[in-house]
Amino acid sequence: MNIITNNNIKCTIAIVVLESVVDPEIGLNVVDLGLIYQVDFDEPSRKIYVSMTLTTQFCPMGESIVNGVTQALQAAFPDDEVNIELTFDPPWNHERISEEGQQFLNE
Amino acid sequence: MIAAATKTNPVPNTSHKVVLPFYIFAALSFLASVILMIFSTTAFTQHYFNPHVLAITHVMALGWGTMIILGASHQLVPVLIEGKLFSNALASISFALAAVGIPLLVYSFFVFDMGLPARCGGILINAAILSYIINLAVSISKSRNENVHAVFVVTAACWLLATAMAGLLLIYNFEYPLLSGNSLSYLPLHAHLGIIGWFLLLIIGVGSRLIPLFLISKYNNTKLLWAIYLLINIGILAFIGLFLYFPITFFYLLPVIFVLTGVLLFGYYCYQSYKKRIRKQVDEQMKISILSVLMTVLPLLMLIIIIGFTLAVSNNAGLVMTYGFMIFFGWITAIILGMTFKTLPFIVWNKVYHKRSGLGQTPNPKELFSSTVFRGMAIAYLAGFVLFAAGILLSNLLVLKTASMFLLIAAVLYNLNVFKIIVHQPAAK
Repeated sequence: MNIITNNNIKCTIAIVVLESVVDPEIGLNVVDLGLIYQVDFDEPSRKIYVSMTLTTQFCPMGESIVNGVTQALQAAFPDDEVNIELTFDPPWNHERISEEGQQFLNE
Repeated sequence: MIAAATKTNPVPNTSHKVVLPFYIFAALSFLASVILMIFSTTAFTQHYFNPHVLAITHVMALGWGTMIILGASHQLVPVLIEGKLFSNALASISFALAAVGIPLLVYSFFVFDMGLPARCGGILINAAILSYIINLAVSISKSRNENVHAVFVVTAACWLLATAMAGLLLIYNFEYPLLSGNSLSYLPLHAHLGIIGWFLLLIIGVGSRLIPLFLISKYNNTKLLWAIYLLINIGILAFIGLFLYFPITFFYLLPVIFVLTGVLLFGYYCYQSYKKRIRKQVDEQMKISILSVLMTVLPLLMLIIIIGFTLAVSNNAGLVMTYGFMIFFGWITAIILGMTFKTLPFIVWNKVYHKRSGLGQTPNPKELFSSTVFRGMAIAYLAGFVLFAAGILLSNLLVLKTASMFLLIAAVLYNLNVFKIIVHQPAAK
């Protein structure tokens, strides 16, 4: 797992929350799949920033995955504003899959 | 609660309302064609230019193969051309025109009346294809990227239009002598424009994108895909040239070699994608799709045998019939049976669970259909396919009837699973 955070405790909670959001096609959660690049909390403004990607820019499940990330975080942090940045720079590649993710895909 | 904001939106999917009618029409067409086969088994022991065989061929080629591919390609346009579909309305118009045109055309073949219903059917099908091409062309022109998959799809759609226009010309040629020969003599040209130009190019264009995507493969070889594209198109153009200006049987081996080389290279592309996959577990749907890649080689080998037989003996009607059967019920049907359950559950899942994503447990798209029914369908289909091909070659009615019952079971099970997915509703809490 290679996610940049600003070491806020809420970031750790957010990553745990995001482990419940699964790519429906692959069956693997977005954290182990390596779709999450960065999670930051800005306490003064009460904003959560998530930088994420998709396995392909035109992924047919893209809307659902981004929607899932947004809704999971919003449900976990109802008083904060969730800001998702979908980026393809750098594009996703298989090396971003965590060890747990690799094991899941090898099963 | 504070509202969420997304800076970059993912590309929206084509609406399920546009795509699902194509799948429903195709599923019913598969069932209809098998039912027609049960009542017309004797036709498969005769010459292929037979009203019932023509009707069944067109249900399979247009109602089954083309309709499901049109539906899936409308859904997959964002993935293939890396941009959104230009118009949902144009896609629905394309469906409506084809949905009226295909039954009219099939009816005309079944009763062999090449009059008004056949002409209306042919015109409507041409208009449907034209709508599809316009939609695709505008979508591509608006997209930011150009890629080999999009070129495959557009070229395939152009060959489909050429096939349909040639077909319409053949219908008119029954009454008005528009061509130098009779319509029967042009049948191989019409058929191969559709089989190679439309089905083969499109399946390779879409398959080369989806197979590595589903397998999460590290393999990517655009140069190889361009080589395949050139080989197949050169093969088609060579065939047209030879057919129209130099119709010597032996020389038909030349386009066959071009196309066969293209297919073998595509097989190599799929093998490499499979070998370099990250996702080790390959599901049943992918297995049957990969099987269909192998099945592509069968009709091509059959074609070489037919050319050899035509040089040696005059009567090869049984071989030609087996060749056609292997294409429509073998290769094309196998890829559709597999790919339906790799695309349709996701379309419906997106429709039903899109807004629930991230808010608790949702079923996996694979759980929207029965894997037991899928396995039963695959076994019945393979048994039916092998037996029917043997029945045609042996000219044996009992084998043909037994085989068509297996195919009927496959079609019924396929429809059961398709409609199970389409009517899926979330479980009540």
